[in-house]
Order: sequence, then C-alpha cells, then structure tokens
Amino acid sequence: MTIVIGYVPTPVGEAALEAGLAEAAAHGDDAVILNASRRGSTVDVDLIDDEAVAALVARASALGVEARVEQPQHGPDVVDTFEAVVRESGARMVVIGLRRRSPVGKLVMGSDAQRILLDASVPVLAVKPTA
Amino acid sequence: MDDFLNGFAVVAQPDTLLYCLIGVLIGMLIGVLPGLGPAATMAILLPIVIQVGDPISGVVMMAGVFYGAQYGGTITSVLLRLPGEASSVVTVFDGFALAKQGRAGTALGVAAIGSFVGATVSIVALSLSAPLVASWAVDFGPPEYAALALLGVLLVATIGNGNKIKALIAAAIGLLLATVGQDSFSGAERYTFGSLELSQGIDFVVVAMGLFGVSEILHNLEERHGKAHVPAKVANIWPSRKDLTEAAPAIGRGTVIGFFLGVLPGGGAVMSSLAAYATEKRVSKTPEEFGRGSIKGVAAPETANNAAATSSFIPLLTLGIPANASMAMLFAALLVLGITPSPALVEENPDLFWGVVNSMYVGNVILLLLSIPLVGIFVRILRVRPAILAPITALITILGAYTLNNSTFDVFLMIAFGVIGYLMKKGGFEPGPMVLAFVLGAILENNVRRSLIIFDGDPSGFVRDSISGPILAIFLLVALWPLVKTLMGRRAASSTTHDRDRDTAGV
Amino acid sequence: MSDQRSTTGAPDILGEIEAEVAETLAEEELPPGGPAYQTIGALLTLAVGIGGLVLALDYGLDSLRRPGPGLWPFVCASVITVLSVVLLVVGRRLEDSVAFSRASVLPAIGVLTFIGLGVLMPLIGFEIPSLVLCVVWLRFLGGETWRSTVLISVGTVAAFYLLFLHGLSIPLPHLLTF
Repeated sequence: MTIVIGYVPTPVGEAALEAGLAEAAAHGDDAVILNASRRGSTVDVDLIDDEAVAALVARASALGVEARVEQPQHGPDVVDTFEAVVRESGARMVVIGLRRRSPVGKLVMGSDAQRILLDASVPVLAVKPTA
Repeated sequence: MDDFLNGFAVVAQPDTLLYCLIGVLIGMLIGVLPGLGPAATMAILLPIVIQVGDPISGVVMMAGVFYGAQYGGTITSVLLRLPGEASSVVTVFDGFALAKQGRAGTALGVAAIGSFVGATVSIVALSLSAPLVASWAVDFGPPEYAALALLGVLLVATIGNGNKIKALIAAAIGLLLATVGQDSFSGAERYTFGSLELSQGIDFVVVAMGLFGVSEILHNLEERHGKAHVPAKVANIWPSRKDLTEAAPAIGRGTVIGFFLGVLPGGGAVMSSLAAYATEKRVSKTPEEFGRGSIKGVAAPETANNAAATSSFIPLLTLGIPANASMAMLFAALLVLGITPSPALVEENPDLFWGVVNSMYVGNVILLLLSIPLVGIFVRILRVRPAILAPITALITILGAYTLNNSTFDVFLMIAFGVIGYLMKKGGFEPGPMVLAFVLGAILENNVRRSLIIFDGDPSGFVRDSISGPILAIFLLVALWPLVKTLMGRRAASSTTHDRDRDTAGV
Repeated sequence: MSDQRSTTGAPDILGEIEAEVAETLAEEELPPGGPAYQTIGALLTLAVGIGGLVLALDYGLDSLRRPGPGLWPFVCASVITVLSVVLLVVGRRLEDSVAFSRASVLPAIGVLTFIGLGVLMPLIGFEIPSLVLCVVWLRFLGGETWRSTVLISVGTVAAFYLLFLHGLSIPLPHLLTF
C-alpha cells in the first residue's frame, strides 16, 4: 500500500517525513512525498529544488522505502490536492506535520492542517516536531 | 562649478533626499517584482509627482525609480532565473549558473559594484558633457528642434524593439493624436467631434497612464503563471578580490558600451546589456565559459544597463528630447510642472539640472549600499502572490488618474487608452513609440510649421540648414543600417523578436 | 534590433544572444496569434489613417508657405495609411502578436471594474467601488480564499483612505468621514 507524506522544508515537515518513512518501512509501504506549492506564486519557500528531491528519495531508499516526490500546484484550498493524490495513489494513510497556531492565528491565517484532519478520506497521522 | 556644488546643496535638503530614497526603493522593488516596468511605474506615479508640485523632488524621485529598477532586476535574474527587467535577461545566463554553484552572493555583489561603477562613470560623463551640448544647442531654432524631435521619434521607432513598420505606424498615430484639440496657430478645432473636453487636447499624463500603466496591468491579469521558483541561497555576500580583478575589464567595457548606447534614442539599457555581453564573449579567450558561471557574463551586462540608464538622461536634459519611453514620462512630468526641457535648461534652471544629476550620485550610493542587504527582504516580498498586488496597483492608477483634474472623463479616457494599449500588444504593436511621439507631437508640429514659414514654404530648407541637415542625415544612416545589413545577407527577416511587455516600454 | 557596433563577419554572436534572450522571454508568454491578427491590426491602422486623412483635408491644407490646420495631420495620416498598406502586404508572416486565450476574459472583467469605479466614484464615493474592485480582483480574478479576499480588500481600501485623504491630502469623493 501507499502512504502520502506532506512535506515542507521546515522542522514540522521533517517531523512528518521521519514519522511517515518509519511507518512505511514498518509496514512495507511505498511513500508519495507531497511537496505542493501555491499556484500563481513567484517564489514559494515550501517548494524544494531538484537536488533536495533526489536527497529525499535517497533517504527513503536507505530505509528500504520506495518513494516518489510529487510537486503539484494547488489553488486556495490545499485539501483538494491531498485528496487527489490520495485517490490517485490508493493511499491508506496521510502523514502531516502539525504546527501550534493560536485561535487568532487560525482565524486570520487559516489552518491547512486542521482542514486536512477534518476532511481527509483516509486516516491521518498528525506529527508534532520534537521540541 | 558653482552650480555643480550648488546641486549637492539642493540634494542635501532632507525633502529631496527623502524623495531620492523613496524613488530608488520603489525602483528596486519594481525591478524585482515581475509585472511592472519603470516606464509604467513612472506613468502611475505622475499624479503623485504633480500633486507634490516641486519639480526637483518629483524628477529626483522618478529618476530614482528608473535607475533603481536596473539594480532590482538583477536579484531575480540571479536567484530565480527569472529576469525582473528585460535588461537583466542576459544576466540570467551566467548569474543563475553562479547561484547554482553556490556563488549567488558573488554574482549579486559583482553586479552591484559593476552597476555602481557604470552608473557613476556615466554620471560624471553626463556632468561634463551636458553643459557643452547644451551650450552648443542653445542657438537652435525651429528647424533644428524639428529635426531633433523627428530624429528622436524615428530612432525610437526604428532602433527600439519590435517590428519597425508597426513602430512607425504607432509613432505616426501618436503624432496624429497630439493634434487633437484646438490648433494653436489657427484656432481651428481638429478631431474633437464636438466634445468640449477633447477641444482642450488630450492630457498626455492620461495617455501615458493608460498606454503604459493600465495596459500592463491588464496584460498581467492574463499572463500565465509558471511553476513557483525556489530561490537560491545567498551565502558569501561580497565578491573576493580575485573576482573583482577578473570582472574589472568587463566592467570597463560595459561602461563604455552602455554609455554610448544609452544616449542613442531607442537604444537604452536592454540593448546595452546585450551588446556588452556579446562583446565580452567575442573578446574573450575562453568564450565557452559564458553561460556556465562567468563573472564577466554578469559584470558586463549589469554595468552596461546602469550606464545606459544614466546616459539616457542626456538627450532629455540637454536637448529636451526624450530618448526612450521612461524619459518621455520625465518629460511629461516636467512639462506639467511648468518646465520645458530644452537646451536652456542647464542655464535657466541650474538647481533643477544639477539637483537631479547630483541626486543620481547619491541615489547610486544608496543603491550600492542597500541592494545586497535588502536581498532577503525582496525575496520575501516576492512570496506575495502577484494576484494580491494587482488590485493595489490598479487602484493607485485609477484613483491617481482621477486626482489629476478631479475628472471622470480623464479616468474613462485612461481606461480607453489602456484597452488600446492592451489590444496593441495583442496585435504586436509597441506602445512606447506611440507615447513618445505623442509627447513630442506638439513640439514637432509647431516647429515644423514655424520652419516652413521661415523657409517660405520650401522643405528643402531643412536639408540645407547646417545643423538640421546633418541630423537628418544621421537619422537616414541609422534607420537604413538594418536594411543594409539585411541586404548583405547577414540575417533573415529579423524583426520578429518577441519581447516581454513588462519593460519594452521602459527603455 | 540592430547593433551599431557589431562588425561584419565571424559568427553573429549578438544575433545568437538575441535569439536566446527572445527564447527566455517567450517561455512564460502566451503563444503568438496567427496571420488573422496581423491582417486585422493592419486594417485597423489603415482605417485610422484614412479617417485621419479625410478629416484633415476637411480642415484645410492651405499651402506649404502658410500651413493650414490640416497639413500636419494630413502628413501623419498619410504615413499611417501608406505604412498600413505595406504592413497588410508584408506582415502576414510576422509572429509578434499575442493570441487571445480563455484567460483574456480576466482583463475584460478588469476593464469592467475600472469603468464601474469611474462611474460610481463621484456618486457614492470611492470606498465602495474600490472595495468591490478589490473583491472581484482578489477572489474572482486572483483565486484567493474568501478570508484572504476580505482581509486584503478592507485593508487596502483603508490604507488608500489614509494615504490619499490624510497623508497626501488629495481630495477624493468619499462616503465615510474620519
């Protein structure tokens, strides 16, 4: 089976990646590492370059997990992109990193993680970065 | 000499310094941001400049926008492989290669230093040559002005980007538009179709804002967005001594090339950057290094485009002829503020002339000091989606147009010209020659008519006159050169270069 | 684009570089339109030229000695007309036009919002039409979320209010007075 791991080059994303790869290794799954960027952006700091992509795949292989990296562009709602990848890869689980957000922060900036937790069609493993 | 030093006193006033700072910051910003070029920005700023009312502050600010943009365009070229301005496209080739090698800071540093050297040398040359040119030209009469204005229009149309025939058509339409309104010679109404507003003529600020500002905004709405870019990391900020020695000859050559090509109407920063790069490649003993991270490949074009941007002020400040679309915006600003750019400007308005020239020294120092430290901030600004900036720019433009004369007619006229500009780009026409011709149209017509009266109806007087004759000869030479080259079989029909709209109007 | 300083002979480096530059710029651009664009463009400018000519004759050419109001417009319009004919004949192969696309609806909507702002501003002040324009541009033309749209729109209009009416003291017709 497959696991979808949401990745951004931050401690939160790293935590998700670690946990996701460990999970995949333990159950013999493949991994789809999802590194989505916002459509229409000139610069997106969530996006990783080709070297980093190769490094991720190598890291997964070292753990015995076959991984591929997807870099789709998403519109205002990132959940749809996750759903599309889940459907297309037949994933059994989504792994994402969680970040602390104050209520005001969530009101103003929104919380993609929260939406994924609530709306995903498969179980979600939410990982917090080790403090 | 007194006037020169006086100019620094003018610049040292806190107001002027502030406007200089604002100008160069805005300039760098639009250089970094995709979507608006210096000419469009200057057009959009016109209402604010007019509101401020002080010609010196206004011109200092607008000038800052213009040459500041040359610094800004480098940042995205090097870090994102995305040319911020058309004059920084060539920098992409080697600049981004250097960034991939982890030497982005070196590239940016060399570019900044080269830009500074190019601009400063250019300003010095401007300071020395301008009074000479102005004093030579001060005796010009109507035939000379007519020939110069014609030369300016024609050169921009023929040397500039885009298809020559279309550019000439656009220019001729611009000249025609300038005749709308009451004829100053005879009082007859031309092309007004009974409209009261039109009988006062078309406000060129409105035209400029429409053809440059609104049309670019409209075009940007439609532009496809590619994938987002990952910015390269900037580690070592300043280039090593070795890098600088390697870059030095390129900087030297770039300065000279940029200075001369910038003075030429229709030349400018884009052409200079290309020519400087090509020259470096040609004289290099290792041409293969270009495109793979050659310091010279960054130093040469960046120096040239700044030198050219600076020297393009010369025709405006000494002869009263704008060399490119951005200078046409400055020309418009000066006219509205009550100052007619002409050879007499240096003498009659030394505060203005030297204030502006000396502000360029100061502005370039500010840019050199700020451009590297601010790189981080600019990259963060680039994270803002263009869709968010679009309505802000749109509002500034429309509200600004309204404030010109508290008139909605102006707003609608600007919208109309915006649509015309958008359609022109669709059809492959450049708005630049049209705006330039429009701005110069009244001057050209008045001088031609006065000359005809002087020559008693004999147009060959233009050719026989000792100054306008050679000027016209120069035009013919320059205009026909590409034809000559084509006939010699060097290139196939080459007038199909499809240029990015964002700055084709700019230089 | 011609390079005054290039010398004859040897590989045309400048030409190569120009081609590379054109390619880089064309990467994110829309595709060129076809010959129809060229023909229509030329026909439009031809119409302008002929119209200008006819009207200029009306205004009176008089003589070269004492130029009438129509003389200069006549000259300009003639240039337009002649060159337009040339363009009609020669220009079909050109590739510098830019095709309309489905996304061309966006600028059209943009123009409508501009016109709306122009019409409504003197009547109900600039705040509401500007707000509407921002909302349309952000949500519909820019694909932003509602939350983002509302926040940015309100913020922008407020900023403009402060900037124009208080900062620069430029009078704009406004509804709210602070």
